[in-house]
Amino acid sequence: MTHKISRRSVLAGGAALLSMSAMARSALAQEARLRVLWWGSQARADRTNKVNQLFQEQNAGVAINGEFLGWSDYWPRLATQVAGRNAPDIIQMDYRYIVEYARRGALAPLDDYLGSVLEVEDFDQVQIKGGSVDGKLYGITLGANSAAMMVNAAAFEEAGVDLPSPSTTWEEMAKIGAEITQAGKRKGFYGLSDGSAVEPLLENWLRQRGKALFTAEGKIGYDANDAAEWFTMWQNMREAKACVPPDVQALDQYTVETSPLSLGKSAASFAHSNQFVAYQGVSKDKLALRSHPLISKDSKGGHYRKPSMFFSVAAQTKDPELGAKYVNFFVKDPKAAEILGVERGVPESSAVREALAPTLDELGRAMLDYVSGLGPLAGELPPPPPSGAGEAEFALRNVAEQVGFGQLDAKQGGETLVNEVSQILARG
Amino acid sequence: MQDTAVTVGTGAPSRPAAQGRLARIWARHGAGYMFLLPWLIGFFGLTLGPAIASLYLSFTNFDLIRAPEWVGTANYARIATADPKFAAAVKVTFLYVVLSVPFKLAFALLVAILLDRGVRGLTVYRAIFYLPSLLGGSVAIAVLWRQLFAGDGLINSLLARFGIEGPSWISHPDYSIWTLVVLSVWQFGSPMIIFLAGLRQIPMDMYEAASLDGASKFRQFYKITLPLLTPVIFFNAVVQTIDAFKAFTPAFIISGGTGGPINSTLFYTLYLYQEAFGNFRMGYASALAWILVLIIGLFTAFSFLTSRYWVHYDD
Repeated sequence: MTHKISRRSVLAGGAALLSMSAMARSALAQEARLRVLWWGSQARADRTNKVNQLFQEQNAGVAINGEFLGWSDYWPRLATQVAGRNAPDIIQMDYRYIVEYARRGALAPLDDYLGSVLEVEDFDQVQIKGGSVDGKLYGITLGANSAAMMVNAAAFEEAGVDLPSPSTTWEEMAKIGAEITQAGKRKGFYGLSDGSAVEPLLENWLRQRGKALFTAEGKIGYDANDAAEWFTMWQNMREAKACVPPDVQALDQYTVETSPLSLGKSAASFAHSNQFVAYQGVSKDKLALRSHPLISKDSKGGHYRKPSMFFSVAAQTKDPELGAKYVNFFVKDPKAAEILGVERGVPESSAVREALAPTLDELGRAMLDYVSGLGPLAGELPPPPPSGAGEAEFALRNVAEQVGFGQLDAKQGGETLVNEVSQILARG
Repeated sequence: MQDTAVTVGTGAPSRPAAQGRLARIWARHGAGYMFLLPWLIGFFGLTLGPAIASLYLSFTNFDLIRAPEWVGTANYARIATADPKFAAAVKVTFLYVVLSVPFKLAFALLVAILLDRGVRGLTVYRAIFYLPSLLGGSVAIAVLWRQLFAGDGLINSLLARFGIEGPSWISHPDYSIWTLVVLSVWQFGSPMIIFLAGLRQIPMDMYEAASLDGASKFRQFYKITLPLLTPVIFFNAVVQTIDAFKAFTPAFIISGGTGGPINSTLFYTLYLYQEAFGNFRMGYASALAWILVLIIGLFTAFSFLTSRYWVHYDD
């Protein structure tokens, strides 16, 4: 009998423990809890955590749990949390994924809070629209950015070459690249990174030709001839040694730290304007921010201002209004804005922007000037990328490498790319 | 103990015989099962359960957020007929298995034989040589490898002393797979330990007799060591082959998750991961996983079938 009793008592003990921990949890639950998930660098995390602290101070009884990851780890984590009914309350969202998440019912529509909790009247309406899916608002933009060229100004000076201007053409850029390589001031150093696999760069080039990466219907927006011409242009630059050789380019994982520019292999890489701070952070030389080259002197330019990222509120959250309140604080509060700077892009609120301008350091200033000074180089915001866009980017990289390493010629590369991307988009 | 029997058997009072047997099993092995319980919970909850779920999911489209949608055998049909990346991944994986397993086993055997020659401080050497196996699967080592074999890495600095200008090994499609093979061979520790144990089992008097008969060292190795070691070689080959098929971390880190350049390091498991967590096709990835189970199963079965022609069991 002893055995039986002891077993029962063990069970009872366990039950007591369980109920105690449940009680502890319900005591905690009395204060509102917001989990915030974002991708980005340590610098972004420091700024974000400070703002979270500020929000907690101003809202008694609210506890914020912040968590951040790198870009490529972020999406699997988010997807598994959403699938596990364990979604963070506030989700940093990208233009590429917002349609998928909104249509799958993972995000809460924010329209009801407009004008009350969400005071975004002074935002650019186009940028607000960028966070809308099927007529409902699912994300508040955290700032605007644009594709940009990161240029090592010091290396240009050493080689005795002028920095590119907003009217520099691709033809001129190829010459500049070759000149820097030939100057040979640094060991194993080239003028440009090989940008043939950089999707925003290809998009910029296509837009100048009146084409696009994707149509509004989610189909491929260019044909095999466009792609072949693109690969030919880069093939010529590789042959002229205007850009790095393919085995150097293949080291680039398309992160700040692995780009040829950051590794001291090239004097120019292609990225997004809000990454300027991060690029400068890992470079000993002084960098400059430049727009992408033009296909001809009278081309209209292929840039556009886009929401660099959004904050979305999860559909699973207990208190969507509190979520909206937090998001509003993040984009509107002057103190928060000062902490955040332009690290997530140029703030949308004109009031915040004006208040921020005098407090910015040189880097922030350069970024603000770049994005607001694009002028005629910037056109309309394209529709959000269709599902499969992420895979299409992989395909571009793969085909660009095949052309780079000489396994395909430019014409075959063009056909292969268009074929693969079309198939990916058809599959969705 | 009689009390225990009553407790366990209360569920089936109408079958006293079965009750008695269950009770006896419990009495004899109960404590053992209790000790096993943590593992059993893990096995059923974290391994077997998800495995069965993945079998179901392999017949669905599942994007993690919306509910799985039954598609029958469509995923398998696509793998078999319309997926060029699957073919690329299988090719890379087979190449890796075929290159890394023999090299690794040969190297492990060589080191084991050298150590078996009565080196002083054997335990120290054994520990040192085993160290890479402990570290090898880790992210840190894969990162180290990236540094070693990059364009301006240590390997090329060494080569430069001999006037050879090496490419960036890890990012060139012709060489990248070899850096992974070298990484695998470097982790020769566990097969080496097993070989060493196997060598110790071979009776010394066989060698003595062979020496007296005038057999050379090479002949002794060929006629005595190798045949008597075949069970151990077989064991190592099977284990290492299965491991090689399942390799993931090195390719993931060295290629930055892409399997590039040009799919040259696209291990099967890496492709599976990309489909699951990059493109959110859990159903398709599950189907890929079951194909891998099938491939490994066939390989292992094949090894066992052929083993009786070359594996020599003494007893």
